[in-house]
Parts: sequence; C-alpha cells; structure tokens
Amino acid sequence: MIRSIRAEWLKIRRSRIVPVLAVLPVVSLLVGCINFYFNRTVLQNGWYSLWTQVSLFYGEFFLPVLIAICCAFVCRLEHNNRNWNMVLTSPLSVTSLFAAKLFIVGALILAAQTFFVLMYGASGRLFALPGGFPMEIVAWSLRGWFASLSIASLQLGLSIRIRSFAAPIGIGLCAVFLGLGMYVLKIGMLFPHSLLTIGMGVLSQKGLTPAENGAFLFMNGLFVLLFAVWSIRRMKNEDVVSS
Amino acid sequence: MKALSLEFFKIRRKKIRVMLLLFLAAEMIWASVSIGISISRSAANASWEALVFTIASMNGLFLPILSAIVVSRICDMEHKGSTWKMLMTTPIGRRQVYAAKYACANALIVYGILAQTLFIVVFGLLKQMSAPLPPALLARFAIGTLLATFAVTALQQWLSLAVRNQAFALCLGMVGGFVGTTSGLFPSAVRHLLIWSYYLDLSPAAYKYGDSSGSYVSGSLPAGLIVAALLMAVAFYVAGNIHVSRQEV
Repeated sequence: MIRSIRAEWLKIRRSRIVPVLAVLPVVSLLVGCINFYFNRTVLQNGWYSLWTQVSLFYGEFFLPVLIAICCAFVCRLEHNNRNWNMVLTSPLSVTSLFAAKLFIVGALILAAQTFFVLMYGASGRLFALPGGFPMEIVAWSLRGWFASLSIASLQLGLSIRIRSFAAPIGIGLCAVFLGLGMYVLKIGMLFPHSLLTIGMGVLSQKGLTPAENGAFLFMNGLFVLLFAVWSIRRMKNEDVVSS
Repeated sequence: MKALSLEFFKIRRKKIRVMLLLFLAAEMIWASVSIGISISRSAANASWEALVFTIASMNGLFLPILSAIVVSRICDMEHKGSTWKMLMTTPIGRRQVYAAKYACANALIVYGILAQTLFIVVFGLLKQMSAPLPPALLARFAIGTLLATFAVTALQQWLSLAVRNQAFALCLGMVGGFVGTTSGLFPSAVRHLLIWSYYLDLSPAAYKYGDSSGSYVSGSLPAGLIVAALLMAVAFYVAGNIHVSRQEV
C-alpha cells in the first residue's frame, strides 16, 4: 500500500498540479474579500460574514470541480500509452491501486483546503475583524474535506472508467446541481455533493447537532466505501479500454 | 469543409451533444426554479426581459465551463491518440485542422444556445408572460451569447491544443465561470477586459436599480462591446493558431 502511494506520488510530483490547486481558492477568496469590503455595512457578522462571501462559490461549485480535476489528473497517465495494461499486470492489487489514488487526491484536496483556510485567516486579520479566528471554520473545513473524499471516490470511479479527461468533470458539474437540489429539498445527507454543502457550512452556518454530525460521518464513510467497491469490482471483473 | 466533416466524424461516438444537453438541462432546471420563485414574489417579474436576464447571468457560470469541456474533448483526442503526426502527413494543413476544430466546437455550442433560446420561448409561453413573444430580443440574446462564446472557445482552444495536460484548460474554464458569475461586482473598466463577463454585458436585458426597487429593461447590444468581443475572438484565434502551428509535434 505504502509503495502504491509512493508510486502515485512519483507520477504527479513534476506534473505542475500546484498552480491548478492554488488558483481557484485564490480567485474565490479575492472576489469574496472584494465583495465583503464593499458591503461591510450590510455584512455585520465579522468572521462569519467573511466566510459566507469567500466560501459560497468555492464550496458550492469550485471545490467539487477541483476534486473532479484532481481525480481525472491522477488517472491521466494510465489512460495514455496503454499504461492501464502495464499497471494491471504489475504485482499490485486493484484495491491498493484505488486506495493509493484516493489517498493522493485526499492529500491534494487537504492541501487546497488548508491553503484556503490560511488565506481566509490572513484576510480576516487584514480586515481587522473583531474577535479571534473562529475555530468552527477549521471544523467546517475538515468536514468539507471529509465530504470531499466521498466525491473523490465517485469521481475516481468515473475517471478510471471514462478515458476522456473532461467528461467526468462535466458529469461532476451536473452532480453539483443535483446536490444543490437535494440540499434544498432537505435530503442532502443522501448525496455526496450535498454533504459537502452541509459539511462546509456554505449555505447555512447553523452548525450540526452531535446526531447530525454522526449521520454526516456515517454517510460519508458509506459513500466512500460504496463507490470504492463499485470501482474495484469493475476493475477486477471488466477489461480495461486502452489504446 | 472536409476537415470540418472529419472533426464531426471523429466525435460521432463521444456523446458530446448528449452531455451538452444534460448540462444545459441542469442550467434550465435551475433557471426555471429561480424564475418561478421570482414570479411568485412579484407578478412584475413575469417578463421576457427578466427571463433573458436570468439565463444570461447563469450563462456567465455555465458557458465558460461548458466551452472548456467541449473544446477540451475535441482537442484532447489528438493528444491522447497521438494523432498529430498522422494528421501532419495528410494534405490538410495545421491551420485547416485548427479552423475545423474551432468551427466544430462553436457549432456544438451554437446548438446549445439555440436550445436555450427555445427553452426561453417555451417557458415564457407556458408562464404567460405579460407581453407577446419578442423575436428581436431573443435574437439579440442569441447573438450576444454567441459573440462571447466565440472569444471564449478561441481562448480555450489555444490552451487545449498548446498544453497537453487538459487540467489547465479546465481550470481556466472554471476561473472563467467564476469571473462570469461575479462579473457584476467588478468596475466596468475591469469587467470589459475579461471576456467571461461579456455573457452578461452582451445581454439585451438588464436589471436597473431605482431608488427603492429595481426593474428589468431591454435595449440594443452595445456596439463598442460587440467590437471588443469580436476583436478578442480574432486575437485569441490568430495567436493560438500561430502558436500551435509553430509548435513541435
């Protein structure tokens, strides 16, 4: 398993993924901060108001698409030059291959989330917002990261199956809207993309009760497992398409 | 023409049209819900201008990402299949291939924009808008959206063909979607430099703020912005064509 993760890391270490990971949080934060600055008279809730401005588009639209890009990215090399044949004939189980890819995507998204929260903290200080940095934000970001894993599990399955780089990202974007609809219908716990909205406190900063937190963690775990089993079974039982 | 028909032949099993329609269906469902809520709050919002403005503002988010996906799929197949060398051995020049890909991508997006226009007509008739169907307004909406799309696809094609890794092209599409959504927050001098904000700027309908409330108004497309969008499209296309044609395969 560790060797699989090392191999995945080796594949992406010179791929210049960092600018892709950094650009969206930076743009989201900049526009959110500009909007916050010009509407400070209306946005009176300090750190929380700033969070609503910077996280709305990032958490709702761009983070799911960023996850989809990362998943397509870690499968890109395998789809080129008949590399799937090479990978699947190596002495490596498909479970550890999938788990290693999921681990790498999880690490990349964790880096993006950390960067986003650090920039949020810095901009809050720059605006001299009253009170200290709210620790709920760290919890929301971690919950958002956990929800990202279930989206990543789904997207990885799609990216392994579909050779095109862009098609799984398009499907992921459609899923964003489905997730938004399910969140509005208050059945958000049943879909990974809505879980991200709930976890990151993007549309509601109410916070979750301990029972809701439990349900949130359980559903995420279930989705990660479900999509992982789906992908691993498919890789075990069906032939790969390579050219 | 032959190169263009070949591009369509290459994508015949890629289901790009189905993906395009599914993607736009998501946008239309969102728009329907949004407009439905808006009309239920105030009957004055049951106007064609409101409908066109809502769709145009949503296009700022959707069309840059959709353009990035469509263009990336059309360009990536050459990178993935390593078919550039094969293409270079045919009597078709690189510039013709570049033009054919551009025309193919835009034809697909035109198909999407026409579907959107049809949606506006059907939705407006079903909701019994206060005024009769305005063909001129709808034509101006389609033309404005098309002009912005021409420039965006030219930029996306440049990046998709110049850089093998499509993550950068899709990331640009996402940044474009973000800029398109938030363009209303920028001052006009900044906004007019960013092509993604033209989806809203080239909309024939706008929301005018009054002292206590606002209203939807329609007007003609600003000539200066039409010229700017066309110039950007030409500049991105020519620069991309020259850059990609001179690149080593």
